[in-house]
Amino acid sequence: MRITKPQLSLSRDNRKKMVPYLLIAPVIIYYTIFWLFPVLNAIVESFRDVDGIWTLGNYIYIFKDPVFYTALFDTAFLVIFSVTIEFVLAFGLALLINTKFKGSSIFLFLAMIPMALPAVAVGAMWSSGLATRGWLNSFLMHAGIIDDASKILFLAGGEMSRLWLIIIIDAWTVIPFVMIILLAGLQGIGADVREAGYIFGGTKFQVLRKITIPMLKPTITTAMILRIISAIQIWLIIVMLFGFNRLPTLLEQIVLNYDELGAASFERIGLALSVIVAIIVSATAILYLKVSGSFEKKKEQEVE
Amino acid sequence: MNSALQRQLRRSAKRTSLYIVLVGILFIIIFPIFFLFSFSFMSDYETYSEWPKPLVPSFKADFKIDKDTEGYHLYIFNKSENDFMPFGPLFFSNSEKDVSNLRKFIKLQANSKITDQKIEEYLRIVDKESKVEFSVRKDLLANYILFFQVINGAARAVLNSLMVAGATVVIALTIGGMGGYAFARYFFKGKNLLKLSVLFVRMFPAVSLAIPMVIILARMGLYDRPLGLSLVYSVGQISMSIWITASVFMSIPISLEEAAMIFGTTRVGAFWHVTLPLALPGLAACAMYSFIGSWNEVIAAVVLTQFNPTFPVVVYKALVGSQGQINLITAGSVAQAVPAIIFTLIIRKYIIQMWGGVKV
Repeated sequence: MRITKPQLSLSRDNRKKMVPYLLIAPVIIYYTIFWLFPVLNAIVESFRDVDGIWTLGNYIYIFKDPVFYTALFDTAFLVIFSVTIEFVLAFGLALLINTKFKGSSIFLFLAMIPMALPAVAVGAMWSSGLATRGWLNSFLMHAGIIDDASKILFLAGGEMSRLWLIIIIDAWTVIPFVMIILLAGLQGIGADVREAGYIFGGTKFQVLRKITIPMLKPTITTAMILRIISAIQIWLIIVMLFGFNRLPTLLEQIVLNYDELGAASFERIGLALSVIVAIIVSATAILYLKVSGSFEKKKEQEVE
Repeated sequence: MNSALQRQLRRSAKRTSLYIVLVGILFIIIFPIFFLFSFSFMSDYETYSEWPKPLVPSFKADFKIDKDTEGYHLYIFNKSENDFMPFGPLFFSNSEKDVSNLRKFIKLQANSKITDQKIEEYLRIVDKESKVEFSVRKDLLANYILFFQVINGAARAVLNSLMVAGATVVIALTIGGMGGYAFARYFFKGKNLLKLSVLFVRMFPAVSLAIPMVIILARMGLYDRPLGLSLVYSVGQISMSIWITASVFMSIPISLEEAAMIFGTTRVGAFWHVTLPLALPGLAACAMYSFIGSWNEVIAAVVLTQFNPTFPVVVYKALVGSQGQINLITAGSVAQAVPAIIFTLIIRKYIIQMWGGVKV
């Protein structure tokens, strides 16, 4: 008994150290089974053909396919413009709501509704609106802006007009989400810091540029990374508005190969395309983190 | 002019322009949603035969019946033409069969319920006075009822969706909540990696995990079952829950737990009796957040369900496959959107707090 006593306290100490690992163990086990395993499986299978023979054929097929390059261009275009526009507008909106004007909480709730809308409802809303005989043309006619002869053919435009349509719709849907993240960050800064900036003679713009934005940087990074990741994977609204193959994007092509074409060989092309998309997404995310300097900051924190 | 007045004027001008901008923004937000709701209450006739389409659904439909040598003729009032337009059969008689067909047609096309007796009554008036005009109250919810009747398995799909969302909430909140607590209270190796897991799990397209998941779930006997789908949703929702619950637990001072432990409770007891009750509203908000997430999800569900689709899949297929008219589909969409909007309304205060502690 005398010998076991110190051991017991030691083991209790050990046990204490174990607690966080025990708490996160389920997370790790879960991710291993339901994320890591399928991901590895998808990667392996993308290098095999239907008969299980190792091959690069799936990738070669993709790189030879001209649609892939269209999809690549469309996706890049959508990501660059939609993320930039969304960020600028959401930031302005967050600054506005953060002034806490009268009625700002009601405004905030109404601004949150697009965030709550299911993707399918967003699709139904815009496809009923942008159809030639949809509500948007009806509204414009009721308002006397256009007449029956000058109906706007929203969905029948060229590639560029289709891209911009998607950018606008995506902005409408996603700005609330970005705004919420930025607003949460802004509220964490606190008014006193900014007031200090004003006391020392800063103009509004200077305070924004020199105090608010630098302090908000971690939040901005969070919002941007989350947005970039999901912007690269845009497809549902495109398919609901235009159908497959009218405005190819990377994810749209994956779904097309998986779900629409049916044959098992196409599934593997879908898998190979997924691996390519995953590489593009992670490369973009890492590039963004590097450019925005998030890695350096982490190192500094570690030194401290 | 005195400067105080000037300043006041300038301030009120500023405030006015602020509110003008706000009204503009609200207009942009509400405008499309308004039409989604508006269309869902319109009859087929309003949606397809009036041009430009009405902006608001009418609460009644106006009809006219007259008579010539062929028989009776039915007209409906068309708002865009501002006149009565021929409606339904070219002509009909007052036989029982014709009248009941007419009732069905009026119900289907104009969403208006009228009884056979009432029609016969009107026909008798026509016999006397050569024509009759009458209006029938429109059944505003007709599209919603019809959606669940016409679209196969829609009601069953709602049940599936509820089960999937419920199971996801339970899985995500227990596993993610434990992780979040560890994150808020302890230092451990790989903490940063755990924080970034939210990003990692999103980098591989969710659709692409579906095919391998089909095999895994089939082996577990869970393919095409609600629980199987919720296992897939939980991957994303767990990482979200870690972020959110971590910020919830961080907002509760650790000193409260320590105080409880000084008074003789164990760590577990302190968590159970002190931290958990305080965290409950935040956790409830987190639960609703992941409920909304899986209730709305359609992408993985399209691939991972076959005979037991979730509600979003049913609406998606109806829209993409043009299975139903647009007023029906908007009704389905609204039915799906309303719970999500209500939950967002409930947790709106927490949503900001939830994101407050989240930083990459």
